[in-house]
Amino acid sequence: MTTGTGTQAAPSSNWLRQFTGLLSSDLNQQPGEFGLGQVPARLKPDAIASSVCGFCSTGCSLDIHLRDNEPVNLTPSIDYPVNLGMACPKGWEALTPLSADDRATTPLLFNPRTNVREPVDWDHAMQVFALRFKAIQHRFGRESVAWLGTGQIPTEELAFLGALGKFGMGIRHGDSNTRQCMATSAVAYKQSFGFDAPPYTYADFEDSDAIVLIGSNLAIAHPILWQRVLQNKNRPEIIVVDPRKTETAMAATKHYAIKPKSDLVLFYGLARLLIDSGSINRPFIDAHTSGFDSFAAHVHQFSLDRVAEETGLTGEQVRGFAESIQRNRAVSFWWTMGINQGHESTRTAQAIIALALMTGNIGRPGTGANSITGQCNAMGSRLFSNTSALLGGRDFSEPTHRREVAEILGIPFERIPKTNSLAYDQILDAIDEGTIRGLWIVATNTAHSWIHQERARKLLCKLDFLVVQDMYHSTETAQLAHLSLPAAGWGEKEGTFINSERRIGVCRKVKTAPGHALSDFNIFRLASHYWGCADLFARWTSPSAAFEILKQLSRGRPCDFSGIQNYGHLECSGGIQWPLPDSTVETAGQSSSKPAQSLSYTRRERRLFADGKFFTPDGRALFLFATPQPMPEKPDSEFPFLLLTGRGSSAQWHTQTRTSKSAVLRKLYPQKLYAEIHPLDAKRLGIGPKDSLTLTSRRGSATARAFITPTVNQGEVFLPLHYESTNCLTYPAFDPHSRQPSYKACAVAISKANP
Amino acid sequence: MRKVSLSTPNEIRPALVDSLLQEQRSLTAADEFSAIVESGRADRMKDRYRSLLPLSQPSPGEQYAFEVDLDRCSGCKACVAACHSLNGLEEDETWRRVGLLVGGDWRDPLQATVTTACHHCVDPACANGCPVLAYEKDESTGIVRHLDDQCIGCQYCVMMCPYEVPQYRPSRGIVRKCDMCHGRLAVGEAPACAQACPTAAIKITLRRQEEVVADFRNGASTGAKEDPLARNLFLPSSPDPAISLPTTRYVTKNPQVAALGAADAAEAHPGASHAPLAALLILTQASVGVMLWQAVAGLVSHSPPGSGLTVLALALGVAGVLSGSIHLGQPLKAWRAFLGWRKSWFSREVILFGVYLNLAAASVLDSRLTVPAVLAGLGGVFCSAMIYVATRRIAWSKTRVFSRFAGTTWQGFLLTGWAATDSSSLVWLLILTTFARLALEMEIMKHEVDDESPRPSALARTARLLSTRFGRWNRFRVAAAMIGGVVLPFSALAAGELPPHWSLAAAAVALLAASELLERSLFFVTVSPPRMPGGVA
Repeated sequence: MTTGTGTQAAPSSNWLRQFTGLLSSDLNQQPGEFGLGQVPARLKPDAIASSVCGFCSTGCSLDIHLRDNEPVNLTPSIDYPVNLGMACPKGWEALTPLSADDRATTPLLFNPRTNVREPVDWDHAMQVFALRFKAIQHRFGRESVAWLGTGQIPTEELAFLGALGKFGMGIRHGDSNTRQCMATSAVAYKQSFGFDAPPYTYADFEDSDAIVLIGSNLAIAHPILWQRVLQNKNRPEIIVVDPRKTETAMAATKHYAIKPKSDLVLFYGLARLLIDSGSINRPFIDAHTSGFDSFAAHVHQFSLDRVAEETGLTGEQVRGFAESIQRNRAVSFWWTMGINQGHESTRTAQAIIALALMTGNIGRPGTGANSITGQCNAMGSRLFSNTSALLGGRDFSEPTHRREVAEILGIPFERIPKTNSLAYDQILDAIDEGTIRGLWIVATNTAHSWIHQERARKLLCKLDFLVVQDMYHSTETAQLAHLSLPAAGWGEKEGTFINSERRIGVCRKVKTAPGHALSDFNIFRLASHYWGCADLFARWTSPSAAFEILKQLSRGRPCDFSGIQNYGHLECSGGIQWPLPDSTVETAGQSSSKPAQSLSYTRRERRLFADGKFFTPDGRALFLFATPQPMPEKPDSEFPFLLLTGRGSSAQWHTQTRTSKSAVLRKLYPQKLYAEIHPLDAKRLGIGPKDSLTLTSRRGSATARAFITPTVNQGEVFLPLHYESTNCLTYPAFDPHSRQPSYKACAVAISKANP
Repeated sequence: MRKVSLSTPNEIRPALVDSLLQEQRSLTAADEFSAIVESGRADRMKDRYRSLLPLSQPSPGEQYAFEVDLDRCSGCKACVAACHSLNGLEEDETWRRVGLLVGGDWRDPLQATVTTACHHCVDPACANGCPVLAYEKDESTGIVRHLDDQCIGCQYCVMMCPYEVPQYRPSRGIVRKCDMCHGRLAVGEAPACAQACPTAAIKITLRRQEEVVADFRNGASTGAKEDPLARNLFLPSSPDPAISLPTTRYVTKNPQVAALGAADAAEAHPGASHAPLAALLILTQASVGVMLWQAVAGLVSHSPPGSGLTVLALALGVAGVLSGSIHLGQPLKAWRAFLGWRKSWFSREVILFGVYLNLAAASVLDSRLTVPAVLAGLGGVFCSAMIYVATRRIAWSKTRVFSRFAGTTWQGFLLTGWAATDSSSLVWLLILTTFARLALEMEIMKHEVDDESPRPSALARTARLLSTRFGRWNRFRVAAAMIGGVVLPFSALAAGELPPHWSLAAAAVALLAASELLERSLFFVTVSPPRMPGGVA
């Protein structure tokens, strides 16, 4: 280890050569203290605040460097059990988007006379908010106002929005952008395990003997989880199932480039091979699951020949895949959007769950049927957004659940609706039908991200009143709003996120919001006052007060985290995974004077179902299956290519409302839409490496630069999802159980664009 | 419609807004945050560094070097962002880049992401070019450091470095670059990029400098110059490592990587236009051309020529130097530009043009100094040409650069002669020279290849820029040269008007000057410099 002075002190300047001076000292470094190592002297912190990152669901902790109460820099937290001192470029640049020029700083109200959005004060804005929505409800009924929320804001805020919307404002229908990323996993887990409970902990990446990644470009979408894969000391088999040879597939030990949307057939075929070869864990199946026999009967029709035919793999490949599952002691299955965004996604996720259950690959280190979530707080949204499930993962249709919530919140029982909300796509359909006429969008960018974008935009424009609450007035959606409400961003407010492995972590307020922007939490407080229902939410005075309510809501539920004391407890424990019921806090070390030490590393990494007990009424996990359906829009002679979409680079986040604000991140991805196309297809169409393409679907067209690469299959074309025009093409198909849109398969035609 | 009412009393609501705005402006006290810090953290970081750093300091003949494991790099680019943050760089300043190599069989495609920063070369081209010795290759560590306060912002290192490492920062008027986090290494910490790599793909190793020399200069030919597919021992599809002997080691267990090509190989990236430099070159060369006429005229006529043209030459030369100083980011420090004379053609140019201008000024008074002035001036033009030849850019070969620079000087000479005498042979020479220069310039167009080629050569990229993106300017250049250098002189000749009417001469001079400025700007923008593999366009 280098310990001495590797470089001598710079020779002193003389009149001919200036070794030092103002320009050089700009780059001087100093020990940062706080255990940071060398930092730029200019930016040496006088305090550090740790905050969970606000981009993706990995849930990395970032140490924000503060100087004179201003955030000046950040470094990834060394001790946090998620990221172990690492971050992806988005995390490193997390502070930059806060200082963008186009931050929303004041409410804007559309003036139909001048046709511009004019600044108004909060009092005026919230009066209009309440009056317009009430007027719509009054004229067209309770059903006529809805909201679309997000997985990007803290749980306290999500829960407040959900409670305020449904119990305070009497809104019937609210949904969230988590519908676009995680609804499938939530539904699949709920049906199979009895609760929306991803069973794993990130240490499972390190403990597996075989890691099966399905529809997940982990290396790019979740670089910090890929780090955990590479830390696995078992020399694991890394098996990637993806139509494209992604960065992850490139680094895998095996890549199965199946035909798009043939996953379900593949997994049923694997299940049959495993059953036929006797490689199943019969004792586990008998003791802890139900429905296996009918599942076995169902998969019997998936012969090797059929599977090979429908997936495009050879029989040998399929057999090899089955052998990998059979051979390894600990096999973990991981999936992301490649599964979740499909027309039969819930059953596909459940086919993965079935593979794990039947081989006993669950509840042990290095195993699991594991959904890797998308947004930083998709998991919080799934439990507490009060949209498709009642607060705390409860059921609106269950009177006992409604009564529990009414009691905990101290609100009249009858204010709780008896039915679930419409899903995102159904809300849009209701706008089309004219039954929903007022919409409140919070921290999401529907006009960019929704499938079949042109229709989504038309519908937003059709609304009598559209409120958009966002950090920026410039998003594609905010520009369509009648009323824009300026929101504080990550880092400008407090709250908790729940990451993919159920870890609850805190984000801290380290910066003041620009202008008159308010935290979403405080906007909801205002809304409750202007609506006239503030008395129902008297206890929701601050995020930490709301966290106490969330703890109560979780008590006795599978997600029980009533044992968490407060934000400080979360902070010094490196986040805490649910469940942590208050009955367990003694052992969890809450009473210890040094909670961080008392929670040992293993206690910091906890998985579910070690006892084989699931959350269904009989404690058994369910095998659920269905007959595979053809994809809704297959390529044909008119639109001969299949369009795949996915993440482009680790420097881009979703619709880029934030990542495009960082000059550093902008350097790390192509500025314009590009299309990956196979060399033989390119040749056939006369497309050269610098040409622009026009991609046309039945719904719209997009222009993209050609990137000719054999990593996509012939007949397929790939577009990254971060660019506005990608969703002009996508076909609005939805999984019948989760209502999640199928972004990753539609038919397009390709031609060389006119120069 | 029933009137909808707000049920909170009116006076309470604005007060609530005010209190919430007030709350939004308050921050939690900083001292509450710092409580989380515990003492063992720094030690735990140092544990991590153990695998990222060599066990000892470099012994004589050794140096620190980056080692990049291509098989571990996943392309997440955290290294770029971490380097930016941990070095406190400007908002859009990055010292690392990540490119992409693509290829492999269609049935088994292969890609490799390539993270790259300064290679801390054994024979650093940046340092060899620097006129003010603003680069220091540290004797004990081998780190190539840039002395920010010594830099004059001439950006010659930007042209010299084959890897596009030094970057000019207009806000500061200097170049900055990666210093391998020498301050961190000195205290046993890993450089920012290595610390931040989630897959530990970047580390610091010790390399024997002799070994680098043997690999890239004395060993088997790397053959990377023209054919990017040829095996490059440094990294496929990257500049010839013999130029500067880069020390970074790219390692992979996959032999197929050697056959990969840059994802952006088809891209022709235009360079900076450097208008002040184009003006400097044209003006100094014209000045020397005029002065050359003065000298030749003096020698031929055996009588001292009038000092008018000498004054013109001096004025052109001074204008050239002034124009050049506009190009500098730190003109007040430019007096040090002679310091690099041992290695830098830039320093030599500065010295010789300094001598030239002094002699030219003196020869206004004493015409005997005209010949020495011309010799110094020609030397200066020679150095100007060598400045660009030394960059080893293929479009800036000796023939191409010298034919241009000597051509401009020679045309300056001929134009002066045409305007000043009745010699028809000078007119024919001028016409001939114009044709010859255009023909030589157009030679590069023969390298233009089929637009479909995925990996065009550097010359093909230059040709493509000249024919497409800058095609219009190139046509202007040719047209102006043809009118100013052929049509007008010939019409004067045909009309028997020698020396020509002043207006005709002025028109020809103006057209040729404009044409030359265009030619020299195109010289800069279309050079298509060597570069490390880039990403998707």
